[in-house]
Amino acid sequence: MEYIIQTTSLTRKYGQLIAVDALDLAIRPGEIYGLVGADGAGKTTTLRILAGVLTITDGEAWIAGERLATNAEKIKSNIGYMAQQFSLYGDLSVSENLAFFADIYDVWGVEREERTRYLLEFAQLTRFHNRRAQHLSGGMQKKLALASTLIHQPDILLLDEPTTGVDPVSRREFWEILTELHLGGTTIVISTPYMDEAERCNRVALLHNGRLIRSDKPRDIQSSVEGDVIRLTPENWQYAQQQLKQIPGVLEVQTYGNRLHVLLSKGEGNLSYLESELDRRAIQFSGLERTPMRMEEAFISIVSKLEK
Amino acid sequence: MSLRHVYAVTLKEIRHILRDKATFFLVVFTPTLLLLLLAYAVTADITHVPISVLDMDHSPTSRAFIEQITLGDDLELISHVNNIKAIEDQLLKGSIKAAVILSPSFERGLYAMRGAGVQILVDGTEPQSGGFAVDKIALRSDEFISKLLVKQFAAQGMNIENLLPIDVRTQTWYNPNLKASVDIIPGLLSIVLALPGMSVALTLAREREHGTLEQLMASPVGKSELLLGKMIPYILSGLINIPLTTAIALYWFGVPFNGNFGLFVLLSSIFFFANLSMGVLIGVFIHSQAAALALSLLLVLFPGFFLTGIFFPIAAMPPIVRMEALALPGTHYAIITRASFVTGAGIDVLWLYGMALLLMGIAFTGIAAYSFKKKLA
Repeated sequence: MEYIIQTTSLTRKYGQLIAVDALDLAIRPGEIYGLVGADGAGKTTTLRILAGVLTITDGEAWIAGERLATNAEKIKSNIGYMAQQFSLYGDLSVSENLAFFADIYDVWGVEREERTRYLLEFAQLTRFHNRRAQHLSGGMQKKLALASTLIHQPDILLLDEPTTGVDPVSRREFWEILTELHLGGTTIVISTPYMDEAERCNRVALLHNGRLIRSDKPRDIQSSVEGDVIRLTPENWQYAQQQLKQIPGVLEVQTYGNRLHVLLSKGEGNLSYLESELDRRAIQFSGLERTPMRMEEAFISIVSKLEK
Repeated sequence: MSLRHVYAVTLKEIRHILRDKATFFLVVFTPTLLLLLLAYAVTADITHVPISVLDMDHSPTSRAFIEQITLGDDLELISHVNNIKAIEDQLLKGSIKAAVILSPSFERGLYAMRGAGVQILVDGTEPQSGGFAVDKIALRSDEFISKLLVKQFAAQGMNIENLLPIDVRTQTWYNPNLKASVDIIPGLLSIVLALPGMSVALTLAREREHGTLEQLMASPVGKSELLLGKMIPYILSGLINIPLTTAIALYWFGVPFNGNFGLFVLLSSIFFFANLSMGVLIGVFIHSQAAALALSLLLVLFPGFFLTGIFFPIAAMPPIVRMEALALPGTHYAIITRASFVTGAGIDVLWLYGMALLLMGIAFTGIAAYSFKKKLA
């Protein structure tokens, strides 16, 4: 089996609105596959369809060799799905939540005990096993949700923005867990609004208005975007930002603190060109230098080209 | 169907109930409290209806007549007045519901067999107590006349008691004193026991609103496993409510229990199943908690009072309404509660109602499970 998840012309409409538009995805076993896109790009709808909780309007999806439209119930025991909204039972304790999911995923006996102990340890929740889920911090809640979706050792994990609203330390821990799962062979499909997370995926799909724009390795996506990123620290930030956008060849101006990242269309001598333009417009600045293109710039560059 | 799955959902629901004070209170105590409250409001037998008397005869016979009228505790003579004006005032103020006026020729008319003049003035604004007063006064007058006649003829050496052509002797079975409470409290029981179960409709809507339903939909848990698992805790809480409410009916209101308690508990569980299946059906179709609550109450409370025959006899309903009434679990259960408490009817009579409830439960649950899709949209 070359692909563990495959969709062809997958389409989902809500009335007139097309949330997912003729999506062709092909995800290999053991990959960390990222779904990247702005709000409303169709990430959540795609994951919900794959999790079997949304009906397909048109097209097909196969998961682990099963046709989703007809065999969804059969696939469900092999999937761990974590919805975007925190969806554990707040009035149940950490252990009770895990036990509930163990029950409905038919995990019993010694396996259940070992699995529970392992996951509590793994999610660093052993100390809090008696605490009600609603009294955990946001990061711990996400880890508990992840642990609950892992209780039956699914081959496929579907994670919908699992780290949104989580502090950086918890986010890093969360990704360590994902890496460990990845090394264990689990296929992970994860949607994220964070480009640094997209960079951690084996491959990402760029979604825009329900359509697949590109599906590739993050590095390949970055290098395919034509252009240079030049950063500088202006004296008068507001004036500089406003003026920069009017310079021919400037695709995008992004703010990082008091610095600006300027995305220029590909060309020799971009650095000196920009410098002269800045001088001509009497923009005071310091620290002008070329900087490597990151996922964020690549993404914005691709999307802004589409929107033009 | 996996019993483990049902058990898991049941255990989870029981924890939800135990850990939310409001839900716990609703499920465990409201039937008892509501029974106490409603029973007092609706069973009050009419007593001590205030009346006044204008006796223009002032004879021993008129005094005996007045005494006869106010013999029981149903009518209470609050004042003797001297003129019609005073009666008008009292009626207007509402201090009396009826007045009895005896004509100056009351005694003479009676003994001369010319008819004794008695007038009754009634306040028609409250037909129930007014009518009650009239009935009682008429009844007592008849008794008074009969007694008088028997006495008169006896004085002449005749026994007329044997002369009455038809000897009607009414015997009221099961509820010899025709006390309203004996009939209504078991009926009320069927409503108050049904109420907590309606929160099952809410639990589905709540999971939908909180997003936990999405997680369940993505899991292998079966639809009927989920629905049954949600019903069982409320069947159990209903079974806790039975001894509580029965004890109140028996020891507080003095209602007898003539049936078989075991049978009553069994039939009650079947009713809970039927009632909850209706709640689950609501929960499947109504996605917000507020709407589910409103609809549940509409389906249980209003028909409970108006259609199940507790206050308005089913026999008096037009055929279509009667069909509607029979389609509600509450109607059958009201028959079961009244039979168990009052007539003491056994399984030979009640099996039919139990069967009807069981079929309803299976049908409603079936429709609910069929209509419930493990899909968000």
